[in-house]
Amino acid sequence: MKKRIAGIVLALALSASTLAGCGGTGGTSQTSAETAAAETAAKTEGAGGEKTFVFGDTTFNAENDESTINPHEGYSGWACIRYGVGETLFQLDDDMNLQPWIGESYENVDDTTWKLKIKDGVTFSNGNPCDGEAVKACLEDLVKTHERAAGDLKIASIDVNGNELTIKTSEPNPVLFNYLAEPYGCIIDVSAGVTPEGMVIGTGPYVAKELVTDDHLLLEKNPNYWNGDVNVDKITVRTISDGDTLALALQSGEIDAAYGMAYKSYPLFTNDNYTFSSTATSRSFYCQFNFNSPVCSDGAVRKAMAMGIDKEGFVKTLLQGYGYVGKGAFPDTLSYGGQNVNTESYDPEGAKKVLEDAGWVDSDGDGIREKDGQKLSVRWLTYPSRQELPLLAQSAQATLKDIGIDIQINSTADHNTICKDQSQWDVYVGANVNAGLGDPANFFSTHCLDSSTKNRGSYHNDNLEKLAKELEDTFNKDERGKLAIEMQQQILDDHAFIFCSFLKMSMISRKGVTGITAHPCDFYELTADLDVN
Amino acid sequence: MTQEITVRAKKVKKDHVKARLIVLSILVGILLLAAIFARQICPYDPYAQDLSISMQPPGPGHIMGTDEFGRDMFSRVLIGGRTSILSTLALVLIISIFGTFIGVLCGTFGGFLDSLVMRIADFFLAFPGLVFAMAVAALFSGGIINAVIALALISWPKYSRVARSQTLANMENSYIKAARLSGDNSAQLIFRHILPNILGPVLVTAMLDIGTMMMELAGLSFLNLGAQPPVAEWGNMMSTGRSMLQIYPWIVMSPGIAIFITVSLFNLLGDTVRDYMDPKNSHSR
Repeated sequence: MKKRIAGIVLALALSASTLAGCGGTGGTSQTSAETAAAETAAKTEGAGGEKTFVFGDTTFNAENDESTINPHEGYSGWACIRYGVGETLFQLDDDMNLQPWIGESYENVDDTTWKLKIKDGVTFSNGNPCDGEAVKACLEDLVKTHERAAGDLKIASIDVNGNELTIKTSEPNPVLFNYLAEPYGCIIDVSAGVTPEGMVIGTGPYVAKELVTDDHLLLEKNPNYWNGDVNVDKITVRTISDGDTLALALQSGEIDAAYGMAYKSYPLFTNDNYTFSSTATSRSFYCQFNFNSPVCSDGAVRKAMAMGIDKEGFVKTLLQGYGYVGKGAFPDTLSYGGQNVNTESYDPEGAKKVLEDAGWVDSDGDGIREKDGQKLSVRWLTYPSRQELPLLAQSAQATLKDIGIDIQINSTADHNTICKDQSQWDVYVGANVNAGLGDPANFFSTHCLDSSTKNRGSYHNDNLEKLAKELEDTFNKDERGKLAIEMQQQILDDHAFIFCSFLKMSMISRKGVTGITAHPCDFYELTADLDVN
Repeated sequence: MTQEITVRAKKVKKDHVKARLIVLSILVGILLLAAIFARQICPYDPYAQDLSISMQPPGPGHIMGTDEFGRDMFSRVLIGGRTSILSTLALVLIISIFGTFIGVLCGTFGGFLDSLVMRIADFFLAFPGLVFAMAVAALFSGGIINAVIALALISWPKYSRVARSQTLANMENSYIKAARLSGDNSAQLIFRHILPNILGPVLVTAMLDIGTMMMELAGLSFLNLGAQPPVAEWGNMMSTGRSMLQIYPWIVMSPGIAIFITVSLFNLLGDTVRDYMDPKNSHSR
């Protein structure tokens, strides 16, 4: 017995010493961070004076359909462009406007004809020229192999004359070059093929040397880079899907920079040893209603839910300010953003009245309303891989309970399968980059129309369908913006969606790392500007 | 003289074990009362969110602080105790009754039934317990009840083994043979003679198992295979707070200390019950 007590005392002492090591953000942990930073700095200059850099990313994995860096496969183009292997014809600037990259200029000849000029002197990392023929071969392979590209681009034919291409589309496509700025539009040398691991030859500042899916990607400086000097010789991109492990890796100096850090860990890095690069993105956290649900088919319930979610509290407290309150489908940073539309604000008392007027009353005194024997219980389908979503679910569960709505949360990685069966859920809550290509069309065409692949709740509005058709045929950017505002207002008036917040994306790097900058479209991470000192 | 000293030493030891048993029983009793009446004791609604007081450190208003949703940690630990302790007790009760029943049947009747059931038990015992429970819980898609079912599925063979071996040992005793000769049927034999005589070892096994089961249940919840948020359960609370260990340690420490104290108390009580029922100690008779 005495031995047992001694054992317990020993265990307590060990726990206490562990805690002492972990506790607080100042003092000891500051010293460890400094030591780690110093150690990392020491190893930065590798053998032979080479500069090395290690990047940790939570999203580079098969779970996100990003198993390789082949842009013609699923969402692997994101890895290709993010890690500087591939580049697209045009890139998006901070205001989400297209700027030349491999392409020099484009011209709209008529509704279905475009002329594209490729820059002279662009080469792939293997030294092959990236000319008109190479671009044509790449785009033809893209349309043939990629599941989304053919439908998005609508390319009918491509003619080449030196570095000038004439692209014909099967129907008007005003945003052809926006779509070509999507990561799947990375121009790769198709004549060089794809390795069995999924590595490709691009035109970017880095060359892929080794890839192990869900583990790491080794990159080396592209000796033939056409667009300036590259500072870093070797890069390792490590897949670290767990946010806590990512935080510890950055703290210990195992990695030099991180993408996908949990908000809860941010205070660990808000000191002089680390640098934050943050930017507003159009990634929204939204609720999409099931119009065949026994409760959410009632417009009053949808309206009350829109009035019963505390978006401000969610952003300010649970996202620790690293987000923006959502109003419409697009953030205020865009000309057609939420500042142009009207929607319900947080108003619990108003929400109660809406429900009462619609006949939803708490007749049995359990705090949850009923109507015609139907409990106001809403099945909330979401998923945990986006850390904000379970927080939103719990926050909404509490505030909606106050107005008499019971929320049954189902947070599962299997959400894509479940949401196909409308009898299994009432509201789907997810995350989506709504204007990643600098144009509003993509959000409506994928989420809100009869033909949309992600119109999960069978929402339909005749006027919206009409406006969408108009948007398809409109080439003028300002006119497209006006139509986007009108379409947003329509879906908000129908309470088909609730846009809760937009993500403020951050990358955190240790002291001494420069040239790593968060971008609103979330495509560009490791560029030739990256440097470590 | 030596005999007198031995008797006195035994008496001292006996009194010591008894005192320990009483003290631990009182402490466990308090714990159980706190779990049963958690709702009445809670100073705040454990599920009520108040984002304006999110992540408050322990202080006069909230003695264990608040979590990221501004929920009172003390109230959540109390309610979490109700979930954790009562689920564990239900689990141990289920597996001990079921396992013992199966073991007694096997020991009494033997033959094909015995071989079949014991091979099934071997099958379950061949897997690492928690890993198998994780697989089963994942198959049932989470939830505290499913976690209890998963652990019950893999934990009953231990009791079957104990009950079977005790039954076999008892079957050789002359009082069993006498009972048979006097015309007792199998049911009478089991309920009148076998069960009362094997209850001690089964009880000790169950007492010692409570701590282990509580840890495993908390482990499943920690891995998001047990209780799901926002349900207050100690393992689940530790899981959701683990990323805040360095910055807001109270969010993890509160349920962690609760698990530590509870498991230690049940383990100590189990050991003491075993000592108390040890046949070498005369007071157990």
